[in-house]
Amino acid sequence: MGGSKMDIKTKIASGPIPLWKWIMYAVIMVIVVAAPIYFQSVQNFFFVRIFAVVGIYVMLSLGLNIVVGYAGLLDLGYIAFYAMGAYVGIILGFKLPEVFGSGFEPWTFWTLLPVAALAAAGTGIALGTPVLRLRGDYLAIVTLGFGEIVRIALNNNIFGITNGAKGLPGPGQRIPTPAGMEWAKANLSFGDFAFSKDLFWYYLIVVLCLATIFVVRRLDDSRLGRAWVAMREDEVAAASIGISITTTKLWAFSLGALWGGVAGVTYAYWVGFISPESFNFMESVLVVCMVVLGGMGSIPGAVLGAVIIAALPEMIRYFAQSPLLAGVLTTDQANLASQYRYLVFGAAMVIMMAFRPQGILPSQRRAMELHPEDEKTLAEENQQIWDVEHHTDVDNDLL
Amino acid sequence: MPLTRVLVGARGSTKAFPLISLEQLEETGETQVSIATIGQQLVNGVTLGGMYALIALGYTLVYGILLMINFAHSEMFMGGAFVGLFAFGWLDNYEFFTGSGFGIALMFLMTFVISGVVIGLLGVLIERVAYRPLRHAPRLAPLISAIGMSIFLQQAVLLWITPRQVPFPNYLPAGSYEIAGISINNIQIMIIGSSIILLIILDTFVSKTRIGKAMRAVSQDREAATLMGVDINRVIAVAFFIGPALGALAGIFSGMYYGSIKFDMGFIPGVKAFTAAVIGGIGNLRGAMVGGFLLGIIEALAAGFLSSGYKDVVAFAILILVLVFKPSGLLGESVVEKV
Amino acid sequence: MGKGKKLVALVIALAMVATMAVGCSGSDDADTTDGGSDAVVIKLGIGAPLTQGAVALGQGIENGAMLAIDDFNAKDLGVEVKPFVVDDQGDPKTGVNVANQLTSDPDVIGVVGHLNSGVSIPAAAVYNEGGIVQVSPASTNPQLTLQGFDNVFRTCTIDPVQGAFAADAAFNTLGLPTAFVVDDSTPYGEGLVDEFVKAFEAAGGTVAGREKTSDKDTDFTALATKINAAAPAAVYYGGVYNAGALFAKQLREGGSDAAFFSGDGVYAQDFIDLAGAANAEGMYCTSVGLPLDQQPQGADFQAKFDAAYPGEGIQAYDTYSYDAALVILSAVEVAIDEVGAENLTSAEGKAAIIAAVAATDIEGVTGAISFDENGDTNNKAITLYVVKDGAWAPN
Repeated sequence: MGGSKMDIKTKIASGPIPLWKWIMYAVIMVIVVAAPIYFQSVQNFFFVRIFAVVGIYVMLSLGLNIVVGYAGLLDLGYIAFYAMGAYVGIILGFKLPEVFGSGFEPWTFWTLLPVAALAAAGTGIALGTPVLRLRGDYLAIVTLGFGEIVRIALNNNIFGITNGAKGLPGPGQRIPTPAGMEWAKANLSFGDFAFSKDLFWYYLIVVLCLATIFVVRRLDDSRLGRAWVAMREDEVAAASIGISITTTKLWAFSLGALWGGVAGVTYAYWVGFISPESFNFMESVLVVCMVVLGGMGSIPGAVLGAVIIAALPEMIRYFAQSPLLAGVLTTDQANLASQYRYLVFGAAMVIMMAFRPQGILPSQRRAMELHPEDEKTLAEENQQIWDVEHHTDVDNDLL
Repeated sequence: MPLTRVLVGARGSTKAFPLISLEQLEETGETQVSIATIGQQLVNGVTLGGMYALIALGYTLVYGILLMINFAHSEMFMGGAFVGLFAFGWLDNYEFFTGSGFGIALMFLMTFVISGVVIGLLGVLIERVAYRPLRHAPRLAPLISAIGMSIFLQQAVLLWITPRQVPFPNYLPAGSYEIAGISINNIQIMIIGSSIILLIILDTFVSKTRIGKAMRAVSQDREAATLMGVDINRVIAVAFFIGPALGALAGIFSGMYYGSIKFDMGFIPGVKAFTAAVIGGIGNLRGAMVGGFLLGIIEALAAGFLSSGYKDVVAFAILILVLVFKPSGLLGESVVEKV
Repeated sequence: MGKGKKLVALVIALAMVATMAVGCSGSDDADTTDGGSDAVVIKLGIGAPLTQGAVALGQGIENGAMLAIDDFNAKDLGVEVKPFVVDDQGDPKTGVNVANQLTSDPDVIGVVGHLNSGVSIPAAAVYNEGGIVQVSPASTNPQLTLQGFDNVFRTCTIDPVQGAFAADAAFNTLGLPTAFVVDDSTPYGEGLVDEFVKAFEAAGGTVAGREKTSDKDTDFTALATKINAAAPAAVYYGGVYNAGALFAKQLREGGSDAAFFSGDGVYAQDFIDLAGAANAEGMYCTSVGLPLDQQPQGADFQAKFDAAYPGEGIQAYDTYSYDAALVILSAVEVAIDEVGAENLTSAEGKAAIIAAVAATDIEGVTGAISFDENGDTNNKAITLYVVKDGAWAPN
């Protein structure tokens, strides 16, 4: 995905994109586009759903990657922006048809998609401003607190519009269907193959993911993207060459939040029911895991991280209980195997980090950078230089 | 005997933002708040805070030395409670321990030691397996490893022990004392007392003993400490023993205080204790103690006099305020930027 | 630095992959071994929290439905029902995932589930899309059957009925004029408390205060002190037994002697065990339906249950789960006559099952079962229970 663009950085790092990469991207694209159609046609709705869920997490992961991967700000409350998008989208979704008449219903989602995104971005700025001075893990705990505050406020029916823990839509409320869905259902179904609601949302999510990848890719190479990297590596040095730390951080927060909002409103309209318990701290943690596991600052990494973390436990459960293994495992064993999925998942996270602490697909730019954490490497290099300069490597015991 | 009258906002009306507002005050009228109630909430808060402080020490010890958030620490709390449950269950078989007051005291001591040692060793093991390979890795890698470990440990208890919430025995003779309308029971006294004693012991240990001094040296400047001949692996192992051992004791206290334990019981206290450590200034032991007690008291007062639904909002809002005005926490030293 | 350790980890990882690979390859020819008998195999989905959330109640739902399946299979109608148990963890997102897992298996003709209203509500949309019947044994939030789906039913009654019953019992029967209400911030708890408050105030009672807690909280001491200071005659808690027991225990130990009231979510022995029998003594709860010994076939069920699950106690929803499964399986019997056993898993068969469930008129363990136009049971019996000698007993 998204490998068609070339830039100076990749040229320097690896020359022209090798053929196998082109093939790989093509295969991935075919899977992304065609697999859900296949699953839908064989009535395997579970896979269609998982594909779409993964798509939502890809958006979240790419959005958080801007904050954590590029700008190096650990955000443990990212899910708050997701919640913000979802709630703004749903609540205004009830209001808009009231204001513009019911003929507006099909356009509600399309109108609110940018609105919810901007609302989330605005929240990002609102949160970012007071806490910009904070560093590293202090920032992490503040964002964690912020995420919890948002969730609790939603839970307490803040301003009387969130319907508290009971979630939205409440009795008598209805989430409007977006324009295009009915058309797709009517015109894209052939024989046994029914173009379903989930399939519609899936393709919409894919389009949004591609848009996210495109934007993030452009950001990566932009002046702003380079400023983030500079700031991440050394704030003081970055400031000294004229980068405005405040502006740069706020851009990171708001752009990251923006994609959280897009994912939120899409999820809300797709599933059709949201409640505060869907936006808990553990979700934020999982998105951070996606970014770090995939490789911070790397787009393919963020995508892969989302695929692994969102899909792996579900896949384990599915395959354990699927008819494929019906002859191998008894029902009890299958249930047991599916119960072990999170155990395996936790162990896999530990093992993967031990093998690839920089992530599965680390960004090439990051890989080329010096890390202050690599003290051992640095010390060894320094020692070598010193040795060479002072000729201590030869018979130094004699001196 | 209402000694004072304090105006308090609406008690969690769900129709509107339930912080203090004039209309709501008119609707619900005044609430009488006596000194005794405030005192009672302080007792509640300090008890909770004692447990937070014990857990927070584990976060702060590890953070001070390795600069990592040990996400799996909340599972040490949970694990300690389960080991405590088994230890109590085992010792309960012997007449000697249940027969006399002395026997019961000994049973407590043995349970604390067993649970502390088992979980302390588990902590050391986890460091060896999950964190040591990542010591030179990018900063967030150990965080992810810790989250994975946390999930693994929770699931292990869920699958191999029980997914249910199980009752926790309480061998402490029931009893509560009332002073000026404030009642305090034996468990609360034990939790508050033991946590303060443990905190003092740890503080002395860190400031007086050789290994304690080494720990402080490492947290100030790891390289310089290494150059001075400090065995960094040993220091890390000690930190990873003490932190989880204290967390385990907090787990036992929690089990006795609340009467039941569950595989996911560590999560919320873990997050709160980490918050407490940060309020106090992460990496600073006394800061963790202060932060723990402070957070417990804030929560109790917020739940008692504002709204139980918003108590965490108050706690986190205070956290944010503290950090905005004092970015390195209450007792944290402001780090001079190395350029 | 840890080469050996990495090697060990690698070996473990490879072993895991290898086991999975062997499992997959072995399965290709394994399907054939299964079709030994001539019976048509259909599956009944069972969705409940089995590892997280209200596990005791969730396992009870599984147990109850299993008994109904065993009974059906014993009839030997040329159709064999297999259970397809999924764990929704009491979590909406997981709930929707497992719902899709069920609809993706063409053999699944219906679902008994879920426990939590927050899970049942979004999952219902999936079952509707998949064209299979859902009968919840335990979700009491009214919203579930008000979504306009024709395939959604429940064998338990709804919150407004239960909340009003509890309010009536508290105010009129027990003469408690004031109540402090607390919910656990779940759709279930909050909905139940809303209904209780409505009915309690309508009856003339005063709500002394309302507070929210979390279903994952452990510390309620501050709230207990606050309630103690407000000195209400009753405390009403909307929530599930896990947190509910902790709250009840701390309320009593905090010195409050207010009458404790709650809903069906705490009607489990675990509640008493966790709160401590001494603390729980005299606490009230309402639960849907009649007590087991007053249920028409209660004694039979007890005997069956004891034979199948020796040593386990019957939980709140076991009989409702049995009846939910019974409703679906009775509809299967009707559908066998209408469309034939081999067509049960077709869209036509599944629609016939939905229609037959809607027209249900049978005697279940919990009494006569039929559904109104929304899909709610017409059996609106509610019982007030009280803890006597460390066990729930009808008041």
